[in-house]
Formats: sequence, C-alpha cells, structure tokens
Amino acid sequence: MVKVVKSPKDGLIRSAAGHLRAITEVAKVVVSPGTITVHYPRERRKYPENFRGMIMFDMDECISCFRCAHICPANAIQMYPDAEGRYFPGIDYAKCIFCHFCVDSCPTAALKQSKIHDVAYRDVDSMNVSPEQMNTIPEIVREDSVTVEYDFEKDIQLVRKKEFENLLVEVEKPERPEFKAVPQYGENCIGCRLCMFSCPVNAIKSKLEETKVILETDYERCTGCGICVRICPTEVLILTPIEREGDHQ
Amino acid sequence: MTIPKGWVSIEVKELEDLPCLRFAEKPDRRSSWRLLKEKVVDAGICSHCGTCTICPVDLIILEDRPLDFDPKKGCMGCGVCVAVCPRYNYVPLNGPGEYTEALAGRSKRFAGQDGAMVSEFMAAALEMRLIDVALFVARDEFFRPFVVHVRSADELLDRKVTGTKYSFASVMPELHRIIKRGDRIGFVGTPCMISGLRKVQNKIPLYKKNVPLAVALFCTENFYWHQLYEFLKERGADLREAEKTDITKGNFIVTFRDGSEFSIPVKEMEEIVPEGCHVCQDFSGVEADVSIGSVGSDPGFSTVLIRTPVAKKILDFMLKKDYIETGKAKMKIVQKLCDYKIKIHPYPPKGESEESS
Ligand SMILES: Cc1cc2nc3c(=O)[nH]c(=O)nc-3n(C[C@H](O)[C@H](O)[C@H](O)COP(=O)(O)OP(=O)(O)OC[C@H]3O[C@@H](n4cnc5c(N)ncnc54)[C@H](O)[C@@H]3O)c2cc1C
Ligand code: SF4
Ligand code: SF4
Ligand code: SF4
Ligand code: SF4
Ligand code: SF4
Repeated sequence: MVKVVKSPKDGLIRSAAGHLRAITEVAKVVVSPGTITVHYPRERRKYPENFRGMIMFDMDECISCFRCAHICPANAIQMYPDAEGRYFPGIDYAKCIFCHFCVDSCPTAALKQSKIHDVAYRDVDSMNVSPEQMNTIPEIVREDSVTVEYDFEKDIQLVRKKEFENLLVEVEKPERPEFKAVPQYGENCIGCRLCMFSCPVNAIKSKLEETKVILETDYERCTGCGICVRICPTEVLILTPIEREGDHQ
Repeated sequence: MTIPKGWVSIEVKELEDLPCLRFAEKPDRRSSWRLLKEKVVDAGICSHCGTCTICPVDLIILEDRPLDFDPKKGCMGCGVCVAVCPRYNYVPLNGPGEYTEALAGRSKRFAGQDGAMVSEFMAAALEMRLIDVALFVARDEFFRPFVVHVRSADELLDRKVTGTKYSFASVMPELHRIIKRGDRIGFVGTPCMISGLRKVQNKIPLYKKNVPLAVALFCTENFYWHQLYEFLKERGADLREAEKTDITKGNFIVTFRDGSEFSIPVKEMEEIVPEGCHVCQDFSGVEADVSIGSVGSDPGFSTVLIRTPVAKKILDFMLKKDYIETGKAKMKIVQKLCDYKIKIHPYPPKGESEESS
C-alpha cells in the first residue's frame, strides 16, 4: 500500500511562525554555540582505557613466545633477534589494523594498549618500527590543555575539563602461574633436538651417549614460552605450571 | 610433584657406527637421510609406505613418485627415519601369519570392495569408542586416492570412501600429522604400511597409545596413481569414468559407470609394478590386528583373519549387534596366494646378488 503524503498548504501564519522559530534558533546558537566539534589539537577527546591505539612494548616482560606474531591477522608483526638471539616483536604500522589481538594474546602484558593515535611518519619505511622503538613513547606534539568528554545524558553535549590526559594506560600484570617446559613423556623423544635449536633462551642442552641423545632443561633459564612444546613432533614436552613455594627441583 | 629435568631419546641402533651423524653441531645437509637414500631408496627396496615422513623437519617427500628428499631443509641427524623404516635392514615377512580365527564376512550396513568388512570393523570400533577417528582412503574424480578422517559410521555410506584404490596413498604422513592431537586412531593399510606402523610403535610409545587398531589389506602389489592412470588410458580405459577397480583371478578389472567392463591380465602390468613391491612377500599383513582381503571367500564376502584380542572384541560386538553375515574362509587359497607372492617376489632379488658384492 502506498500512502500519499500531501504537502502542507502554504499560509501566511504558518510561514511567519516558521521564520520566527528559525531566527530564535540562530540567536540561541550565537549566544551559546551547541556544536559538538572537538577542537583538536588544542583539545583532545578523553578515550576509554581500552582504546585501541598505538601499541607499547615492555621488553623486560616479553618471554619471546611469538604468540603475538602468530596471531596477527594482518601479518604486521615481525620478530627481531637481539644480540643474544632472543626474539622481540616489532610492528609494521603500515599493515597493522589495530585489532589488538597481539595485546590480548600476550601472556605477560608485555604488549599494552595506549591512547596515542596521532603519529605521523615521514615515509612508509619508518612505519615499520623496531622493538626498541616500541619500548619508548612515540614522539608526538601535544598542544592540548583541555580534555573533552561527551555527555549523552540529555542531548549530546560536550563537557570540557582543564586537564592534561595521560595517554599511556597502566595495565596490571596478569595473574599467571609460572610455566616451564617439562619433559612429561621423555620416552617419546626421537632426539631431533628441534627443541634445543628453537629455544630462544638456550635453556635446553643435549649430549650424545652412544646412540641416544641426552637432553636437559635448565629451569632457571626457561621462560615458559612454549616454543619447544609446539615444535616437538612427539609431544615430549608439556608446559607445566610450577608452584613457587616448595620449589624442589 | 617432582619435576623431571632431563630426559633421554630413543635409541637408534641403526646409527651405531655413525653416532656423529646423530649429533651434528647444526642442522646438517649430509646427515642420516643419506643412509635411507642409499640403503633403501637407491637400492630399490623402498615400499613407499611413508613411515619415514615422520621426519621432524619434513625433509622426506612422499608423493606419487619414488620417495624423494629435500636436503635444503637441513637434516637434524636424528635418524628417526632410518629407525622406523621397515625396509632398513629388511627381513621379509610372509605366510598367513598367526591368527586365532578365520572367517568370511559381509557387512549388512555398508557396500565396499568385497564384503565391506574393513568399513564394518572401523564403524564398529567407532561405535565401541575404541577409536575416535579412522583414516580411510577415498578417491577423487580421477580415481586419485586421498586420505579422509572418518568419525562416524554414516560417513562410510559414501562409496567413494569404501572400496579399493590400487594406488599408493598418503595415510602415514596423515597419521604423523595428527598423532599429537590425542585422538585414538584406527589405521587401515597395505602390509608394508602395517610393518612401518609397528616399527614406529615399537620405538615411540605415543604411537602405541594413540593407534589401538590396525587393519591390514591383503596385497600383492600396488601402483603409482599416475602410472596406473596412463597405463589404462593408453589401453582405452578412462579411470574418470570408472566406478570400481578390482583384481580378480589374475585380472585387473575396471567397471565403468555405464556398466561396461575393461579387463587386463595383471601379468601384463609388470612394467608399472613399483620396485619396492618386487621384494615384498607379505600378502596377508601378518603384523596387523586383523587382516582382510578378497581371496579365500565367495564373491560379496571378505576374508577376515583375526589376530589379536582387540580384533576379536570388535568381531564379537559386530556379531552381537547382528551387523554382519558370516561364512567359512578357504584358508587353502589364502595359503596358495601367500606362497605365490614369495615365489614371484624373491628376496634378495634374483640376479642381483652377484652385482651387489
Ligand atoms: C593396493 C591393494 C592391493 C590389494 N591386493 C589384493 C589381493 O591381491 N588379493 C586380495 O585378496 N585382496 C587384495 N586387496 C584387498 C581388497 O581389494 C579389499 O580391500 C579387501 O578385500 C577389503 O574389502 P572390503 O570390502 O572389506 O573393504 P571396504 O569396506 O571396501 O574398505 C576398503 C578399505 O581399504 C582402504 N583402502 C583402499 N585403497 C587403499 C590404498 N590404496 N591404500 C590404503 N588403504 C586403502 C580404504 O581406506 C578402506 O578402509 C588389495 C587392496 C589394496 C589397497
Ligand atoms: S606475545 Fe608478548 S611475550 Fe610473547 S613474544 Fe609477543 S610480546 Fe613477547
Ligand atoms: S623436539 Fe621433542 S623429540 Fe625432538 S629432541 Fe626435543 S623433546 Fe625430543
Ligand atoms: S625451554 Fe622451551 S618453554 Fe622454556 S624458554 Fe626454551 S623454548 Fe621456551
Ligand atoms: S628424520 Fe631425522 S635423520 Fe631423517 S632426514 Fe629427517 S631430520 Fe634427517
Ligand atoms: S620403505 Fe617406507 S619408511 Fe622406508 S624409505 Fe621407503 S617409504 Fe620410507
């Protein structure tokens, strides 16, 4: 069914009332402007704590587990070796889609979100940042002195506060028992030593005895990254939570 | 809880005089796989069973051609390929082997190559929850074999999944791929594949734990798919039109969708019989839990040799559920075929013993 809507009839009173309403509205805006524009960069919008901005990295927390690099759907994370052969993530912001899967997957909160979203790069190459660069706060020029929040209670309104916002987010270290790669099923070991070669902190040592390979894990070194567990073809090693008290070897 | 700190790998006796190979300082290009290449593949006795594809760095390539290696991958020298190869230090197995019961059987539920007893065994084992998944060999529109995971009995109603494909299939690589998942796996294969499975099970307990059921198919020889396809095509039989392939009474028979048939004596296929089959004497799969074949029972029935308690348990379950119809197996004929295979496949191969020394 089609409903025909007739245009209202023009009348002198009707158009006069309409004009009057428009003039009042203009007068109101002149006296107190009701725009919802944030005057960035002099003002800055207050973002929630879980805002998906540039990603910060704390090298001391990282256990080189590669989870971030594996999960990244845009393939934006590359793992860079340091002088000792340990690997740390660097993000290519030309590829990153700011999904923060890496942040969510990091077991140690070595990767953290921040509220920084306004970094300009000189060229595409410099968007590929190294682990060290991610360790420090990206250089940005702050001109803002006012933080603006939206108030949705009645109508959309802006609430301005003279406040300088901290763009870094403090993240609590997640509750996580300490894990170690424990040879639960040593009898399955084929002696390929892939675990040894793949361990980023050289926690696994091996020696040859006749036609057997003898392996040993140094739990002091093992960070529980799980790389050896994943690579072992016969399920010898299992990531096992370790209780700290009564730490008998 | 005490936490073990050290552990010891399996022994690889085969590397006794060459332990350095097992312990290269870094992944090596000249390591243990050479032993396999020299003593098995180049010696022409590789059965193409694929057990060696356990290689942890995927250096060993099993495709529709003789076994190949990719030395660029950097051998770890572990020697596990040598340790599990049933043709390394080869001692042929033969005869009908030990069995506790021999019968002819026919499934009432499935249609297969003969009596569909292989399918029935796997379906019953799935229902009994002895296994979680069975590895079957299905075929594509070119009659090319590929491996499928069967997790329930209904999947076996698909006639492309049951029935024999006379070509090497990559069941072993698939087994290695899924062994860590923790599923209990039902394994079906030719006798050489069963020998490989047993060898890897004896070395690595994980395989024993996760593969509780192994079914062998009677086998005289197998083929490379592309060679079989070309061979038949040259003689006017197009496998794309085929519904079934079979070997009966010394003839290779292709049945087409339109009902017509093509037949050729297996003797004339000599040129495409792979080298490794020429030294194989195991017709009945003596190391399996149960061996199943067509020889020795009436058309429409499969011959079943029960060898271990687990197979017996499944048989009793099938009988109790009335899933199968049974008859008598003619073991004389099976014995004859076993003897015949020894005769046509001598080991060491005739006329080669002088060359090699
Ligand atoms: C290469 C080959 C040669 C054979 N030669 C003989 C012979 O000389 N004499 C004889 O009596 N019997 C032989 N058989 C066995 C026979 O063809 C039947 O497979 C057997 O009788 C079982 O029949 P079924 O109806 O019980 O099996 P079905 O219920 O039809 O099940 C068939 C099973 O065979 C498996 N299968 C099919 N093709 C392959 C393959 N290429 N590799 C591994 N598994 C496969 C399927 O996965 C399935 O599990 C041979 C089988 C094969 C694969
Ligand atoms: S997920 Fe976290 S701990 Fe693991 S490599 Fe990435 S940053 Fe390091
Ligand atoms: S990766 Fe696994 S099989 Fe290989 S040496 Fe290490 S524990 Fe043994
Ligand atoms: S021993 Fe395994 S879990 Fe521990 S640090 Fe090395 S690779 Fe990671
Ligand atoms: S299984 Fe081990 S010895 Fe054999 S090729 Fe692979 S890495 Fe080398
Ligand atoms: S016989 Fe089997 S395990 Fe041995 S080399 Fe050939 S395919 Fe590999």
